[in-house]
Amino acid sequence: MRTTLWRVLAMLLAFVLVASACSSDDDGGSDEAPTDGTEAPTDGTEAPTDGTEAADGSDEVDLTQGDSTLDAVKQAGLVRCGTRDALRGFAFVDPDTGERSGFDNDFCSVIAAAVLGDATATEFVDVETTDRFTQLQSGEYDVLVRNTTFTASRDGLEGATFLQPNYYDGQAMMVAADSEFETIADMDGAVICSAGGTTSEGNVANEASRLGVTLDVLSFDDTALLQEAFLAGRCDGWTSDTSQLVGLRSDYPDGADSLRILDGVFSKEPLAPAVRDGDSTWASAIEWAIFATIQAEEWGITSANVDDFLTSEDPNIKTFLGVEVDGAVLDPGLDLPADMNYQVIKQVGNYGEIFDRHLTPLGLERGLNALYTDGGLQYAPPYK
Amino acid sequence: MATDERPPFWRNVKVLGWVYQLTVLGVVVAIISYLISNFRTNSQKLGIPTGFEFLDQPAGFPIAGSGFRTSQPVKDALLVGARNTLYVALAGIVLATILGVLIGIARLSGNWLVSTGARVFVEILRNIPLLVIVTFAYLALVLSVLPRIEDAWEVGGVAIFSNRAAAVPWYRGSTLWLVVALVLAASIAWLMVLWRRRISDRTGATAYSGWWAIGSFVVVFIAVSAAAGLRVTTPDLDGRTLAGGIEMTPEFLALLLALTIYTASHIAEIVRGSIQAVTKGQQEAADALAFSAAQRMWYIILPQAMRIAIPPLGNQYLNLFKNSSLGAVISYFELTKVSTTAVGNGAPAVPVFTVLLLIYLAGSLILSAFVNLANRRLQLVER
Repeated sequence: MRTTLWRVLAMLLAFVLVASACSSDDDGGSDEAPTDGTEAPTDGTEAPTDGTEAADGSDEVDLTQGDSTLDAVKQAGLVRCGTRDALRGFAFVDPDTGERSGFDNDFCSVIAAAVLGDATATEFVDVETTDRFTQLQSGEYDVLVRNTTFTASRDGLEGATFLQPNYYDGQAMMVAADSEFETIADMDGAVICSAGGTTSEGNVANEASRLGVTLDVLSFDDTALLQEAFLAGRCDGWTSDTSQLVGLRSDYPDGADSLRILDGVFSKEPLAPAVRDGDSTWASAIEWAIFATIQAEEWGITSANVDDFLTSEDPNIKTFLGVEVDGAVLDPGLDLPADMNYQVIKQVGNYGEIFDRHLTPLGLERGLNALYTDGGLQYAPPYK
Repeated sequence: MATDERPPFWRNVKVLGWVYQLTVLGVVVAIISYLISNFRTNSQKLGIPTGFEFLDQPAGFPIAGSGFRTSQPVKDALLVGARNTLYVALAGIVLATILGVLIGIARLSGNWLVSTGARVFVEILRNIPLLVIVTFAYLALVLSVLPRIEDAWEVGGVAIFSNRAAAVPWYRGSTLWLVVALVLAASIAWLMVLWRRRISDRTGATAYSGWWAIGSFVVVFIAVSAAAGLRVTTPDLDGRTLAGGIEMTPEFLALLLALTIYTASHIAEIVRGSIQAVTKGQQEAADALAFSAAQRMWYIILPQAMRIAIPPLGNQYLNLFKNSSLGAVISYFELTKVSTTAVGNGAPAVPVFTVLLLIYLAGSLILSAFVNLANRRLQLVER
């Protein structure tokens, strides 16, 4: 008995020693890794034309640096988007037809139209809120378009690179329509339900301490369970981003009228697509796909009238749509098709069209998401 | 020619044994270190931290029912989670043991109704996945059966039940003194038992040691806790907030209920098996001495059955401890729920789950050490 114990202990000790020796080797190895890393992108930028050769040339399987996700997406002919399935307006699967529709789904189509020229070349991967970053890191999908708030620690600690926000949101509080609450300051001692692993739970706690009221915040990983708890009277308030609350309210079993969203938002929630860190080629492709929708709205180009603009007098518009101006078609070197903007607008539409299609029916106003020319925040850098 | 010459080392069984063991160990270490280094390189490329610095970072999320602030570090959140796991596991172990033993005995009852009822209980619960029981207990029992807090049930003025919060009487005052009072009362009760038995041995009169023990325990406990300023508070409902007593969240109640009935169904089978494993002669001997059925069970059968039951019981306790992680699905903030929430709020997943794994491992090892200790004390000493 005793001797076996000692033997096991000795083995464990040997194991720990060897393991620590190995891990110190790793430190040596990983010191070299960044140098490899800095070399690889240079190769990529030098030879954007023979991208396939560069891909073949890299001798190790590499998630990010050798191959850009952009090459992988082009090869597969499919953009895989991490999204959700039960948030009306943003990403929703119709229970009868099984068809997906929503603001986030459309932005996935925008990316597919820009990169592949085919808005239908998309695959949607349903992800839970708490798993979204780990699945992004492990390569389960190419881009996360799942109303995710851009924050510093997610950018730094989750290995995600956030891109141009496609929706500027703010957190709000929803209560039963017949409750006495008018503002959050009235809610001292109340229980607030929120989605777990989100910025919402921390925001509402911080807002409570700012207002000097005590709120108990209960967070659920599963929206369906949260709704059951709210229906049963487990909590007085339901907090989330305004856009989500509006979507959830319209699907509430007791009817949208039985819920009331309190006035005022108390956080900044820029909802942005995210990709894996260290893949700037793929990141740029997505950003410019989103910019295309904003720029098109600014110029009044819609999916219906885009063909008329092909013969526009404005050289900026012609350049934007990938039409020859004075014998030259602009290639900004993004490794994307020259007609990417045209395809995005023709197949999906401009920002305003996408918004009107999915969010206006829920009763959401443009607000911060109006164009900068209308006092909003949506602004696209020039495509030249 | 020397016959007792030692064989060459490559045919020496002892040496070969060591070589095999070390080779296997080397292969295992190589595979694990390859995987670890792979993980580290990939994480480094993706810019994901692999260290444990996150433990000192602000958690960024609140924990229901704990007063935990979002600015407190992740390690404090894990401590709150560990405390909640401990609460539900300890309460679950005590309740599941009591319920399990009762049902196990009931299964062997001569009364058809009692034994069939116990059998139905065991067969239903043993054959449903625990996750389903947990979710059902939360949604269908706690949230739907218990009333809203506005019309909470006040049971005899001492307990309050609602689907917002439930409360039962509890003590107020120093926990240290409570422990002192309990230990003192228990030791005096034990001394009483020894004293009564001695008298009984000398005079042959009935000892009634149980009654004496309970009586002295109650008297000493009340006297010491009164002297130490411990008192009992009963819960009060003021509008929608509870004061006094000890408050339990619906999530805690649902998880405790699910873990208790599920584990009790397994414990009942262990108890039944252990009772049946006590040789029939023991039962017949008790009958021959004109013991009543209760006396036979209490003095003869159960002490021997418990000896057989302890190792498998220990396994059930370990299972219950680990199964408490299912609280995560109904938002009971035990260790697993705290960890997944931390990951959602920016803590790196692999290090967080490494810490989680180590905490569960430590908890399980401590628990099984206690069970082994109890087993060693109660084992028959074979000579």
